[in-house]
Amino acid sequence: MPNLDTYTPLLTAHTAAHLLRRATFGPTKQEIDSFIGLTATEAVAKLMSNVALTVNPSPPVDYYDTQPTAGQPFLNEPYNLPRQGNFNAFIRYWWVGLMCEQNGNPSVLEKLAAFWQNHFVVPQGVIGDYKKSFQFLKLLRTGCLKSFRTLIIEMTKNPGMLKFQNGDLNQKGWPNENYARELQELFVVGENDFAGNQNYTEDDVKAAAKVLTGWQVTTNSNGDSTAVFTPARHDTSDKTFSSKYNNKTIAGRSDASAGDAELAELIDMLLAHPHTGRFICRKLYRWYVNPNVTTDIEDNVIGPLASFFTSPANNFNIQPVLEKLLTSNIFYDNRNIGAIIKSPAEFAIGMVRLFGQEVPNHTTDYVAFRKFAEFVYWNMSGLQLDFLSQPLVFGSIPYYQSGYSKNWINGNTLGIRGAQIDKFVHPYIAIRPGSLIGIDFLAWVRALQPNFSDVAGTPSISCEYAFEQFSKYLFAIPLTQSQKDFLIDTIMMKNLPRATWTNELTNYRKNPTNINSSNAVMWRGQLVMRYMMRMAEYHIF
Amino acid sequence: MKRREFIASASSMMLPLTVSGMGIKTLSQTSSMVRSVLKTNAAQTDRVLVIIYLNGGNDGLNTVIPLDQYSKYYSLRSNIAIPESSVLKLNGNLETGFHPAMTGMQNLYNEGKLAIAHSVSYPNPNQSHVRSTDIWMTGVNSDVYSSSGWAGRYLESRFANYPMNYPNPQMPDPLAIQIGYMDTTTLKGNQQTTNISFEDPSKFYQMMGALGTVNSDDMPCCDAGDLISFIKQQQISSIGYSSRIKAAADAGRNLATYPTTTSVNDLSEQLKIVARLIHGGLKSKLYFVEMGGFDTHATQIGSTPTEGVHANLLKKLSEGISAFQKDLNLQGIEDKVIGMTFSDFGRRANSNISKGTDHGIAAPMFIFGTGIKRQLVGTNPDLVNDMIPLTMNPSNKNQDIKMQIDFRRIYSDMLNDWFGTNKSTTESLLFGAHRTTSLFSNTIESLGSGAWPDRNLWSSNRMPGPGDYVKINSGHIVSLGENITVRNIHVEGNGELKLLPNVKVNTTG
Repeated sequence: MPNLDTYTPLLTAHTAAHLLRRATFGPTKQEIDSFIGLTATEAVAKLMSNVALTVNPSPPVDYYDTQPTAGQPFLNEPYNLPRQGNFNAFIRYWWVGLMCEQNGNPSVLEKLAAFWQNHFVVPQGVIGDYKKSFQFLKLLRTGCLKSFRTLIIEMTKNPGMLKFQNGDLNQKGWPNENYARELQELFVVGENDFAGNQNYTEDDVKAAAKVLTGWQVTTNSNGDSTAVFTPARHDTSDKTFSSKYNNKTIAGRSDASAGDAELAELIDMLLAHPHTGRFICRKLYRWYVNPNVTTDIEDNVIGPLASFFTSPANNFNIQPVLEKLLTSNIFYDNRNIGAIIKSPAEFAIGMVRLFGQEVPNHTTDYVAFRKFAEFVYWNMSGLQLDFLSQPLVFGSIPYYQSGYSKNWINGNTLGIRGAQIDKFVHPYIAIRPGSLIGIDFLAWVRALQPNFSDVAGTPSISCEYAFEQFSKYLFAIPLTQSQKDFLIDTIMMKNLPRATWTNELTNYRKNPTNINSSNAVMWRGQLVMRYMMRMAEYHIF
Repeated sequence: MKRREFIASASSMMLPLTVSGMGIKTLSQTSSMVRSVLKTNAAQTDRVLVIIYLNGGNDGLNTVIPLDQYSKYYSLRSNIAIPESSVLKLNGNLETGFHPAMTGMQNLYNEGKLAIAHSVSYPNPNQSHVRSTDIWMTGVNSDVYSSSGWAGRYLESRFANYPMNYPNPQMPDPLAIQIGYMDTTTLKGNQQTTNISFEDPSKFYQMMGALGTVNSDDMPCCDAGDLISFIKQQQISSIGYSSRIKAAADAGRNLATYPTTTSVNDLSEQLKIVARLIHGGLKSKLYFVEMGGFDTHATQIGSTPTEGVHANLLKKLSEGISAFQKDLNLQGIEDKVIGMTFSDFGRRANSNISKGTDHGIAAPMFIFGTGIKRQLVGTNPDLVNDMIPLTMNPSNKNQDIKMQIDFRRIYSDMLNDWFGTNKSTTESLLFGAHRTTSLFSNTIESLGSGAWPDRNLWSSNRMPGPGDYVKINSGHIVSLGENITVRNIHVEGNGELKLLPNVKVNTTG
């Protein structure tokens, strides 16, 4: 299938940026530059091998400096109920910090873990227990590239999931169908096939609930939870499924291994459903390539990718599927560049990464780290994306509701995005004394200007050059000349001659400590940046 | 001719008739019944509909409790059943009561301002939150998909070519308002969303005021171009409308006391903004508000069945709606506003062992406002005959409540009778004809032939009562075997009312 054939041209700035924007929450400029000239295969191999660098980071610590345990890890300590709210937040901050990480070695890890976090939701707001929340996150981060079969089995027995979807209440004679339904509808099979036919029946939900009876959560004195299976709570009858599953019967078992044995058989049955591969691959396509899945895409991309995913040779491994997708012709097709509206994560994290905002070390500089993470996390939350605390089991609305990523945008969220851009373009939030979050235009211009102090010997950079640098890698679709002219003349220069910029910059170079001279240069940068980041074009990727 | 007397009119003309020596009045064009039957379809220009979405699937059986079948109700859900003595009683309706947290809505019912539509759902129900909500919001058959919402399609049809050339002097305001962050499918049109969304009118104005102008040329191809033009349209509409919204918010006044909020964006806070905007003269036709938390799979009650999660939800709902209605009353604009609730689906008739309820089928809807002409559509679910499956089987004790009213019949009444939409337009907007529930009419129509007490015979899905005019439609034969009191009966051409011997029809006019 040509769509899934490997894209062979060497990556350009345009295509390297596309890959990094989709495979991560947004690249730094250095990362884009370092990917130019690679093949897609080489680039994706890098994104995969870099996973090992950050998959086992140091655990979160107490980020509150006023606490006696400030700076110390808390997950191995006995459960601390009074600090539950703080520790839940710290786990979210810690993960957001990893998403923002700038070690120069971008990887697919956090974006893919976030995909599964949206797929299998376990919200802190419902379960409360921060240790279970971290256990869930750890499963996502360590399992996200491996076998989908293993992931779904582990997820079914995950203590947070057992609590959230009431699996721990599901027992013989008194089934609780909550998890059995979501397992089929949201996690493995999908409610309908592409044509809209139901993939399973209501009786299949009831039968699956019986298979899943008997699992509960035990929590030790330290507050650490594990799943346990109690044969006495297990429904030992035979469970028969509909023709959607070839009328499969899972024989009832009663011994101590009944829970695992029936679960394995159930998962194998779900994985064998003809729609399972397409369901997962379609969701990956919508996350990484384009939410708009046409019949052509369904037939010529989703179908073949699903066949590959479910083939005996691949056996439901996730990493090869993602590699295939991110190196495919269809991924780099021009029609798919700029075809998604940025989620709050791609917006808020993308912003700090693109402008190289420092991420303080979370253990040695934990107060600064907390302030940084608060800025990013609460920006996302204000735009209705709460990682690890999404309110609904089906994940965020823009990943399933008609219109898809358009659902991120309305008057309200546009206004909030604008206010967040303002905070970044006009910095005032300090992470430590003297260090503000946001764009330091004067430092940027001083770096752009060769021989800054040698005013007589080196001419000041032009308005056009400064604009090219300010707007570099900002947009997924290159600006047209008329847009550039509009942005330079009308926005940045306020209809003054372009030479005014050079004069102002020269004046600043001569009088670097004069507040009026420096403000003139900073103001032009802020004018055009604030405008560009509010353009519709900035919000697609 | 058999001894049985009957009424049969040969044409659709109104005929003076005499039955059992008792006169059924000739109906002139000026009688209130005729006027209600021949309701004009002129667009009701200043009317407003407020939609309240109960996210998660509300447990209908613990909201509206069938007191006439209390022991059966109790046996279905003994671990969460509301004690009989705690159930709130309704005036003139001994068979049905409300959850004890719903005193505000109990008062509204007793004042005649609240209607219950029982057992609302749709054929071939779906028990997925996502899909079922989508069906309710788009207004489709459960095997059909639509990307536009029912209310969005209506607004697009009423305001042609939106958003081009809007705002304009005829419609200076957003077509619809949503209080919230994530746009609802209900208000999506075929072209654009028809609503403007915000949380607080003043903050919204400040945010939009700072947004600046947006240039719009040079559109790239394909999906990227589509997304850019979508975002630009949202920017332009939001900036354009924000000053009108602020002006209405500044001009409007809340005159009732709303309950103290317990969290940001409580339902009562949302309704308070809506009342203020309507009072302030905003001409938007639809408002959409939402409250979450109704997916009560476990522990929906607290230490006693009358408190806990579900009780708190219903308290918020009831207090919010009653404060809103009181506010509209004090503002003097009560007659132009109708509200309705809907949810993903109902919950299972029987509870689970976790003191919760799993996904079910039918559940009641509430419609509130002074514009309603009846307070009951449908009957309490019959906890024997309205169960799916009819009997519990030992290996599967689950039973669901069967549908009486297709939700699109309520939508159809909203469009036809509340907004005055042309019937054929309503049919095209709702992808087919849906029989009236007579919610906005004091006339109950026959839907087919049969025995008078059969609820399925009547548009209101219940037997006509003393307050009702009755219209027997052409081709329908209704047999009456017991004495009844109604306001009057009108038999259409080729319709027939068969009276058994000695049966009396009392009419009160």
